[in-house]
Amino acid sequence: MADEQKPSAPQAAAPKPAPPPGPPAPPPPKNPGMVTLTIDGKEAVVKPGTLVIEAARQVGVDVPHYCYHKRLTVAANCRMCLVEMSNSPGGKLQPACQATVAEGVAVKTETPKVKDQQRAVLEFLLLNHPVDCPICDQAGECKLQDYYMSYDQQASRLDMPKLVKSKRLPLGPTVTLDNERCILCTRCVRFMREVAKAPQLGVARRGSRSYITTFPGQPLDSKYSGNVVDICPVGALTSTDFRFQGRVWFLSSARSICTGCSRGCNVHLDYMRDSTYRLRPRECEAVNQEWMCDQGRTTFKPWNTDRVLQARVGRGEAKAARRAEAVAQAAARLQESAAKGQLAALFSPGCSLEDLLAACAVAKGLGLTEVYVGGRPDGWQDEFLKRADENPNRRGLELAAAAAGLAVRSIAELAKAIADGKAKALWAVGSKVPSPTAAAVFARLETFVCQASSQDDVARAATVLLPQAPVPETDGTFVNFAGRAQRFERAYPPRGESRPGWALCAELGQALGQATAWTSAREVFQALGRGLALGDFTWDLPPASRARALSPAPAGTVDGRLPGYRESADKVAADIRAKVTG
Amino acid sequence: MPYKVIEDSPADFRERLFLPEVIRGVGIIAKQFWRNFFLQRDPNPDILLRKTPTVTIQYPEEKQPYPPGYRGLHRLVPREDGKPRCVACYMCATVCPAQCIYIEADEVEGDPIEKYPKRFVIDELRCVVCGFCVEACPKDAIRMDTGEHAPPTYTREGQLLDEKALLRGAPVSYQYDPWLRRGATAVDPKKLEEMRQRAKPFPAGATDELSQTPGFSVRQLAAEAKGRGA
Ligand code: SF4
Ligand code: SF4
Ligand code: SF4
Ligand code: SF4
Ligand code: FES
Repeated sequence: MADEQKPSAPQAAAPKPAPPPGPPAPPPPKNPGMVTLTIDGKEAVVKPGTLVIEAARQVGVDVPHYCYHKRLTVAANCRMCLVEMSNSPGGKLQPACQATVAEGVAVKTETPKVKDQQRAVLEFLLLNHPVDCPICDQAGECKLQDYYMSYDQQASRLDMPKLVKSKRLPLGPTVTLDNERCILCTRCVRFMREVAKAPQLGVARRGSRSYITTFPGQPLDSKYSGNVVDICPVGALTSTDFRFQGRVWFLSSARSICTGCSRGCNVHLDYMRDSTYRLRPRECEAVNQEWMCDQGRTTFKPWNTDRVLQARVGRGEAKAARRAEAVAQAAARLQESAAKGQLAALFSPGCSLEDLLAACAVAKGLGLTEVYVGGRPDGWQDEFLKRADENPNRRGLELAAAAAGLAVRSIAELAKAIADGKAKALWAVGSKVPSPTAAAVFARLETFVCQASSQDDVARAATVLLPQAPVPETDGTFVNFAGRAQRFERAYPPRGESRPGWALCAELGQALGQATAWTSAREVFQALGRGLALGDFTWDLPPASRARALSPAPAGTVDGRLPGYRESADKVAADIRAKVTG
Repeated sequence: MPYKVIEDSPADFRERLFLPEVIRGVGIIAKQFWRNFFLQRDPNPDILLRKTPTVTIQYPEEKQPYPPGYRGLHRLVPREDGKPRCVACYMCATVCPAQCIYIEADEVEGDPIEKYPKRFVIDELRCVVCGFCVEACPKDAIRMDTGEHAPPTYTREGQLLDEKALLRGAPVSYQYDPWLRRGATAVDPKKLEEMRQRAKPFPAGATDELSQTPGFSVRQLAAEAKGRGA
């Protein structure tokens, strides 16, 4: 064949030498403007320049990979993704995460050669791996475990001691590193450099003795460091906060929205029974891609501890009251002071749109013309995700108030109205206030009806305290700073006596003789929120109208993970716990 | 056919009379009664080894030891330094069909195994004694080789055995145990060396025989219990 292609001497003597033979001209594209190739016999039509691994994903072929991450640069260092491509020189295997598509190429991902390679790569990755899955938080969502079961399944042939590296190494406030488990895919290094724009991680030394490390004296303290835990395909980087808190296969996941700031990052809310265990970013191209900040990850803590679980009437020697009683009391007080024109309403932009729609409707029914805006004070901000406004729903509050024809006033004006004696009674939906002195002011009011979920100073100042359920315990909507309405779904039923904000408002409204008999957040939105300018927002999340029985249906197939299948396991545990500690 | 069918021969005239047979039965009972009443009884709880022909076991003063492999009351296997072998991996809690194992994990310092069970509670009333937990455990940390059954209690809560009640019996070390291979700063070096000496290779296959700790016999346990006057 080589002989045939060799240009012969007589031809060279010809006046016009033939062009040197190159590779055959590429065939004309089957689909103009696109590249057509076959992957495992399936035809894929993709844009030129697409990576083979992405083209494969489009036709439903999953190429195993570790180092490749679609939002990071290509490193092609793990070699797990090698596939056969008909255009590769010498029939060498090509990394699907680095090779781009070419017209007419046949890609094969399941040939014996590829399988051998996958097994070999896994054997190498596992060579010095400690396989201490029993104490590894990644177990259950570990790519090493998954791929071992799918592609390897052979015993270790290493008959000498494994390499010993550092374990349990706190890299910074949020992340703990186990260097033995690291497969050196450098995803974390690339994330810190390219996405977090804080190159705080690097690889030190060489060969099998390489390890991930921070620079001397500089901890991994970026505000986005938590994301490396999510992208680490193995259990090398684990969350210090979630460490040993639970096994991931017991957790279910609900689609939720982070309440940390007005960006409204989409998150997976991982829960078991009636506790939230962690928040993980959920993919949303328009808002947070698939990242979130470390502060947002901790926002679930108040949902688990120090909750207001019972209604209360009276300050100081206050006694827990049944919710119906407290609602009746609150309604009577509100009616009384509203009639005298001494009532003010303080709504928190931390509550859901449905809570605020319902609250505005009830406020309107009480004859109010303005509402004051509470909420958490401003915090830090940067160019990436975090916004200074640490309330998830300020836009929602403005929309809801405008729809009800209520003017929006700041908390400073409320303080002034109270000081002037114009406002003698207050109704707060949500207990967060931006100023630390507000609680002391409220504590002097003769009537302070407060719907709160956490036992904070403001809640303690209430004369009637109504237990309000936080985000995981209700369905709802947040409108982020850009006006994008985003739904969050209920993970578990409200704890104790608490009820969602809209339900408390509905109870209050009914006690006041208003027609507010809503039975779900959806109903509230249908009744009050249809006219809001929310773009093409539809309330129902796909799949629409998930039926909820007494116990919540396990959510969480959204990211392909099986739902926690042991809803009752923890119930038993709770029974046992109650008996043992009680 | 793997078994033999025995057909009763038809009753003869004497049997059909009934009374002689009744008298014979009463005679057997009376013989046993007087023999047990007057003759010395061998109290060996292992009836197979008794010198006298009496087989009655005076339960609960005497207890028949269970055969090896019997799934008795759980125990958490200790290491020689008194800590549990358990690393709180939740495998047993995951596999348990009765969902009766409750674990709370926590972090421990100075040991290559970073995790230990802060709480480990088994609800013995809920347990169906299937032994899956023993099979599932990757650390040979939970066993049912105590040769006892759950002791009777007056309350249901009494059947909740926690890590203090469960952690007992003969300690076990394997050569592959990380605290032996890598050392543990929380363990006294001399003790660690002693543990290394006593460590045994990990059994290649798990059988009932192997899941019994050598030198840990149910018969011996029963004898000890007897010695204590239990
Ligand atoms: S990373 Fe963790 S879960 Fe994955 S194989 Fe290693 S020890 Fe097991
Ligand atoms: S720590 Fe995780 S993400 Fe970083 S290189 Fe190692 S395996 Fe990859
Ligand atoms: S023996 Fe079976 S039912 Fe009992 S604790 Fe173990 S796994 Fe659960
Ligand atoms: S399976 Fe074994 S090591 Fe794991 S939690 Fe249960 S007893 Fe402990
Ligand atoms: S995923 Fe392609 S080499 Fe790592």
